Amino acid sequence: MIKVENLVKEFKLSKKQQKENNTSEKVAKAVNGVSFECKAGRIFSLLGPNGAGKTTTLRMISTIVKPTSGSIIVDGIDVIKEPQDARAKIGFLTGSTGLYERLTPNEVLKYFADLNDMDKATFEKRRDYYYDLLDMHDFKSKKIGQMSTGMKQKVSITRTMIHDPNVVVFDEPTSGLDVITAENIIKLINDCKNEGKTVIFSSHIMSEVDLLCDDLAIINKGKLLYSGTMEDFRTNMQTDTLTGEFIRIVNEN
Amino acid sequence: MKKIIIIAKKEFLDLLRDKRTLVRMILIPLLVFPVIINLVTMVQSSAAEKEAAKEVNVGYVLNGQSSTMIDNLAMIPNYNFYEFSDSTVLRDEILGDSVTVGLHFASNFDNDYNEGKTPELSLFYEGVNQEDLGKVKFLLTMQDSLYTDMRMQSIDKDYGFIEPFSIVNRDIGDDNELIAKYAGGMLPYFFLAFCFMGCMIPAIDMFAGEKERGTIETLLTTPVKRLQIVFGKMIVITTFGLLSASLALLGLYFSLNFMGMEGDFMDTIKGMLSPGLIGTLYILLVPLAIFFAGIMIPVSVYSRSFKEAQSILTPLNILVVLPAIFGFLPGVELDYTTSFIPILNVVLACKSLIGGHADMILIGITFFSLIILAGLSVFISVKQFGKEGNVLR
Repeated sequence: MIKVENLVKEFKLSKKQQKENNTSEKVAKAVNGVSFECKAGRIFSLLGPNGAGKTTTLRMISTIVKPTSGSIIVDGIDVIKEPQDARAKIGFLTGSTGLYERLTPNEVLKYFADLNDMDKATFEKRRDYYYDLLDMHDFKSKKIGQMSTGMKQKVSITRTMIHDPNVVVFDEPTSGLDVITAENIIKLINDCKNEGKTVIFSSHIMSEVDLLCDDLAIINKGKLLYSGTMEDFRTNMQTDTLTGEFIRIVNEN
Repeated sequence: MKKIIIIAKKEFLDLLRDKRTLVRMILIPLLVFPVIINLVTMVQSSAAEKEAAKEVNVGYVLNGQSSTMIDNLAMIPNYNFYEFSDSTVLRDEILGDSVTVGLHFASNFDNDYNEGKTPELSLFYEGVNQEDLGKVKFLLTMQDSLYTDMRMQSIDKDYGFIEPFSIVNRDIGDDNELIAKYAGGMLPYFFLAFCFMGCMIPAIDMFAGEKERGTIETLLTTPVKRLQIVFGKMIVITTFGLLSASLALLGLYFSLNFMGMEGDFMDTIKGMLSPGLIGTLYILLVPLAIFFAGIMIPVSVYSRSFKEAQSILTPLNILVVLPAIFGFLPGVELDYTTSFIPILNVVLACKSLIGGHADMILIGITFFSLIILAGLSVFISVKQFGKEGNVLR
């Protein structure tokens, strides 16, 4: 479970940035009082146009950046007070996640398993499970730099899931990927839900949201514009399409 | 500690698979001294051989005097003597480069010599032909001694008659002190420079490189403290710095002992490389390498890409070069001020060890000042890595 309350993130603006943004404000609020809850066994989608604050919110949940104020509870752990414990519960994946190109999948996975304090037997069991599931045996000892994008994404998925996290954070996970590779991610998100994990993912692709999510929140310019179930969203739509409704909500606010 | 070691182990593996790292941090330091020493020796011996084989063309105008001296000189190999009628022709021949040095005997040369006077023998030359001039002057000095002997024999006197006393040089100083004064700073400087270069590529690769490749976010979502990440990576940077310096030392040792090179230059370097010097150099190099890592990490953390970090750090080489150059200067010694200046203090400490007048208190101060600087730079590195504005820039 993820519980976010009154989350605020301010970034200091340099004089150059103030000039570029045509503002005299010394700080910019990337996230401004956002609250939502993601339940275990359900897929929560964070929607918003580019620069809405989605990535910043997900980075705060994943402890990469510290909130200016507000609170985040991940699987019962206060992310701000105990970030290291929270990280052990989180798997994090983005569409642009990089991998160590000079290492092999075996080495990368062992590295992340060790950092997550996994014992050898559990690690090997989890690793082999994903090797079978994603058909990775042929390239498990090949250097990542010599792999195709699809192969790399499979390694990224396994790296995210190797320590069996209860909470999985996906930041625009299919961005820039071809259809076949994106399909692997979508399957992974569904598998996480079926395993009872808490899943949050950001996107601006409505078809993906329609296909996957149970709950959704829409944010724009750091502010929460909508939060509710997908079912309620569909029921209360004032336009014909999900995309049209998303645009309407963003424009009206 | 376990997480620090996990990170360090991964970074070692990652870096050792990088060709750029292997070439710049292992191959170049290992080969630089054998290549330089080989080249210097080759160039020196080839130049010496060339010089020895070179023929010198000397013109002369006897001006009606005896040719005894010319006959003596003409017996020496590689010297060709050509007679000219007068000094004008001799000048023209020198300017036309058919001869490089000219001898012009005064019209009363023989008479004056026989009467115990000092006749003139003029030397004609162009300033650019200093080497040939030097050779001819050396021959004439020998003739001068011969003529003096002949004159002394003619009056039945010993050579000592015209030399009331002789000066004998007895240098009671240590050769090492002289070496230390003029060249003592050079050797440690090379190892410092390699240590700095050895630290640079890993520092850039492990922070700016990781940002550029997009792996830093993933690492930050693992249950590892930022302090542990910095320490793990710092171990690798420091080790590679020391490794580069060690490989340079190994290359030098190999050149001196197994490449059959001899001569004063080699003996001088061998004389410098005492176990005491190497031991002290390493003791000082460890905190210095940590200090190098500590100044490189914040730059690398701040940079967006490998290229940006490299463009900022490469000019910092001057930080190593400048203090070291001051250390080369004769008269600049390790004292209570210089022992606090990083890099310069290491060079001067080594210089004092080579000179055999090392003050262990000052070397101790040098070591502890480097430890303090290293600690300070580690603190700054951790702080900078903790700033999300830098990491996610």
